[in-house]
Amino acid sequence: MSTIAPEKYKENASKNIADPVLQKALSGLQERLGPATENLYNSLPEGHKMRTEAHQFRRKAIDNLDVLLSTLVDKVRGHGGIVHFAKTAEEAVEICKKIALDNDVKTVVKGKSMVTEEVGLNLALEKEGIEVYETDLGEYILQLSGEAPTHIVAPAIHKTRREVAELFTEKLGTPYTEDPPILTRYARKALREKFLKADMGISGCNLACAETGHIVTVSNEGNIRMSTTLPKIHVAFMGMERIVANLEEQQSILRLMSMGAAAQEIGGYVSYVGGPAEVDHGDGPQEFHLIIIDNGRSKILADPEFREMLCCIRCGACLNVCPVYGKIGGQAYGSPYCGPVGAVVTPLLFGINNSADLCAGETLCGACKQACPLEINLPRMLLALRSKLSEGDPDWDVQPKSKGENLIFASWQRFNSNRKVYDLLLGLMRVLQHLLPAKQGMISRLPWPLSGWTANRNMKKLAPKTFMQQWREKKEKKGS
Amino acid sequence: MTTQKEFIQDISTALGRPTPVSVDVFTVAPTTAEQDILKAVRQRSSGERQPFIKTLQEVSVPLHLDFHPERSLEDIRQAIITLILEKDPEWGTKKSVVRWDHPLLNSLNLEAAAELKDIPLYITNHVAATSSADDLQAQRQQTRKEVEASFIGITSADYCIAATATLAMKTRPGQARSVSLVPSIHVAVVEESRLLATLKELYTLLKWDEAEQAEGLTNNLSLISGPSKTGDIELVMVHGAHGPRELHLFVVSDHR
Amino acid sequence: MNKPEKVTLFIQCLVDTVFPETGAAMVTVLESLGLKLDCPANQTCCGQPAFNAGHTREARAAAVKFLDIFEDAEIIVCPSGSCVNMVRDHYLDLFADDPKMLVRAQAVSRKIYEFTEFLVDVLGVESVGARFPHKVTYHASCHLNRFLGIDRQPRTLLAHIDDMTLVEMKGADTCCGFGGTFAVKYSEISGAVLAEKVKNIVDSGAEVVTGCDMGCLMNIQGMLSRKNIPIEVKHIAQLLAEK
Repeated sequence: MSTIAPEKYKENASKNIADPVLQKALSGLQERLGPATENLYNSLPEGHKMRTEAHQFRRKAIDNLDVLLSTLVDKVRGHGGIVHFAKTAEEAVEICKKIALDNDVKTVVKGKSMVTEEVGLNLALEKEGIEVYETDLGEYILQLSGEAPTHIVAPAIHKTRREVAELFTEKLGTPYTEDPPILTRYARKALREKFLKADMGISGCNLACAETGHIVTVSNEGNIRMSTTLPKIHVAFMGMERIVANLEEQQSILRLMSMGAAAQEIGGYVSYVGGPAEVDHGDGPQEFHLIIIDNGRSKILADPEFREMLCCIRCGACLNVCPVYGKIGGQAYGSPYCGPVGAVVTPLLFGINNSADLCAGETLCGACKQACPLEINLPRMLLALRSKLSEGDPDWDVQPKSKGENLIFASWQRFNSNRKVYDLLLGLMRVLQHLLPAKQGMISRLPWPLSGWTANRNMKKLAPKTFMQQWREKKEKKGS
Repeated sequence: MTTQKEFIQDISTALGRPTPVSVDVFTVAPTTAEQDILKAVRQRSSGERQPFIKTLQEVSVPLHLDFHPERSLEDIRQAIITLILEKDPEWGTKKSVVRWDHPLLNSLNLEAAAELKDIPLYITNHVAATSSADDLQAQRQQTRKEVEASFIGITSADYCIAATATLAMKTRPGQARSVSLVPSIHVAVVEESRLLATLKELYTLLKWDEAEQAEGLTNNLSLISGPSKTGDIELVMVHGAHGPRELHLFVVSDHR
Repeated sequence: MNKPEKVTLFIQCLVDTVFPETGAAMVTVLESLGLKLDCPANQTCCGQPAFNAGHTREARAAAVKFLDIFEDAEIIVCPSGSCVNMVRDHYLDLFADDPKMLVRAQAVSRKIYEFTEFLVDVLGVESVGARFPHKVTYHASCHLNRFLGIDRQPRTLLAHIDDMTLVEMKGADTCCGFGGTFAVKYSEISGAVLAEKVKNIVDSGAEVVTGCDMGCLMNIQGMLSRKNIPIEVKHIAQLLAEK
């Protein structure tokens, strides 16, 4: 269960950096998935232009979201589905709760869905006395242990097999084993019972296709197919941006998404759901509800600087290459959306000021953009967020973050704009630096505001003469 | 409650336009490249499909999919009978098998196999759309019971994509979707003529082929590539997370 | 492109104030190729630290100053990928809404080159006759490699240094954790990223780590020094100036 607490970024990061088990899991994950995804991109039969085109497909869909959603909704209704609209998280939860209560639902099985995490669905249903089971193995493990996910696609990657073994023995009463295949079988057995008795299945929506009127879900475990095939009611939660116009465009995006998510050519199970089971078909849900959710997305849509973010399909590829994520893990972001994507989406959805650390806490190395199947320019948007934080923005309710920092940069600008002042200040610093502890020309402790630097590294002293001074002297010598 | 009108209006406003304008986002005719694909698929000879068999063999290995070499109906029938006899059920000890009502599967005539006489072989029958609600409900419950009880589910597929070993299945009367999902072992028998080279070919057909267009995707189209799997515990790949633990694929030769 | 009449040097502020020997090495290399050099003495920082921290107003002021100083240059060469990235690409962002300034920024954007890019792509030079009998590993800095797409050029130049052994470190193109003010504000995270880079450098067995950005190299040097690891840090210009 995720709570939204991005303020604790530094604190959580610090804890996670000190956790050797997590560190090993994160580097194992990145070493495996990062290069594997890159290899798939490099061997695309369509070549690199496929990614550029896919970005354009998504962009076109976002730029025409009103038209595409209207088409989708008409088609889904035509297939016998029921469509709901939720402006807010609360509304989405209420709609689902009402469907559950109206149908006397006792047990819900859920396929992995980030938007249900975003709106806080599980807790609301549980409050009504409804049993809710996460069925993705990783999510199930976290539900049992009461933890937040570490990764978008591999949520429980921080749990060792020993921890899972202990957890299952305690919660499921299964015999202790550290063998992943046997542990998986225990979960398979426990959840099969839930699948068979559940009266409602909840899924997300990876990407809807407007022209055919279908949502699409992707999984490797088959849990989403189980959740959307066996219970009599299927409720799908869809962030309003998760749509594309045509089948042919969807083809390339789904393939790229599979590469980004799990270094696969295509996900193990890709399911198109257009409505409830047709009457004369032998199985499948008898009701299909689609809840389309805004919850802050139309605000992102309206801002040209951030509209690109709505192209994101949450594959998690950026997590697998980000040097910062690779050290701090997903829980540090304090949001269902972690990693580079989370660093942009979380502030936009849950407030820029309280996510200030998420905006500023990256190196801007650009690995995320390179790994994104759709080449979304996350570094550009991080910069835009930082700019809002330093200058404030009433449109986004942003207060300038730090007067201290603003003052530092304002004075920096003053001496940077005049070389004479600049040189005077350097001269002063050159004298003052002798007061600092140093060995062999390397300072080991800097004062505030630079003290962070010397927390774990030294800093070379300012040179006795700047390059400019040397250059001038050289020229004077030549001239004389 | 937010109405569709309000919801869409907010989006139009965010997009800076008064209402949804009619824009050219939907394609109405295949591109030249797509026409070429359609032509290539339609004119493809059996000989030209033979390389797909080799591709399927290759891609099956990393996917952990059991691709069987048998090509004649009779050999496939025997191989499936052997599977039914030799494999053990996962839940409980009693064996039963469920299959689609599908011409290709009907022609296997497994029901006549003497070796299987003690093993119930269910067929997901058509549910008449005209039946009463109670009858429909009863029929569904029956199917559900049979699927749950079966350790092997046998289906065909609309298409099988060589490059990714993907099975594409629409849902139809008599072709319950749970047959490929709930039993521990999924056996798929596909006509060689249903083989395609790539996902791109599949999508081009789904989009532009007249027969496909007429039928639509149906309310449930599944693309299945290999058995169910997970890497959620320490990234160790385990097959059989929630769906079938095994997926056996047979391709029926055109020259049978 | 023909050999320029005169090359104007844009010296990254870190090189100017902390690592002037890097600038001197660049001058040695360029002069050995018979180029006439000019170096505006009133130049200061290009504004990148302010820009990356979101202080666009201050960054813009720095950019205006930069354009005033450099716009008459024939060609500008700088020993830092990230500063070139700032001037070439981000100045355009800074002035996106100011058509007059944008034209000026575009003109400068077209004539600024990173040092190795200038040697290989503009001058067509692959070998400068350098000799450096040591084991060296190369750190492909992010702004240079990903944003400017410059990787082949420094590697070509390194491959042509006599008697030098280039050993590839694991994750040569992974970030070193510098990120400007990030290194100070999030020093623990930055330090964790850097520690991995340092480990990979040590594991490579190199005696020297080189690159095209003193920011990253200063960061790496800081931890090598803190951990008393006797691996030297040298800008690529310093290697190319060795005979």
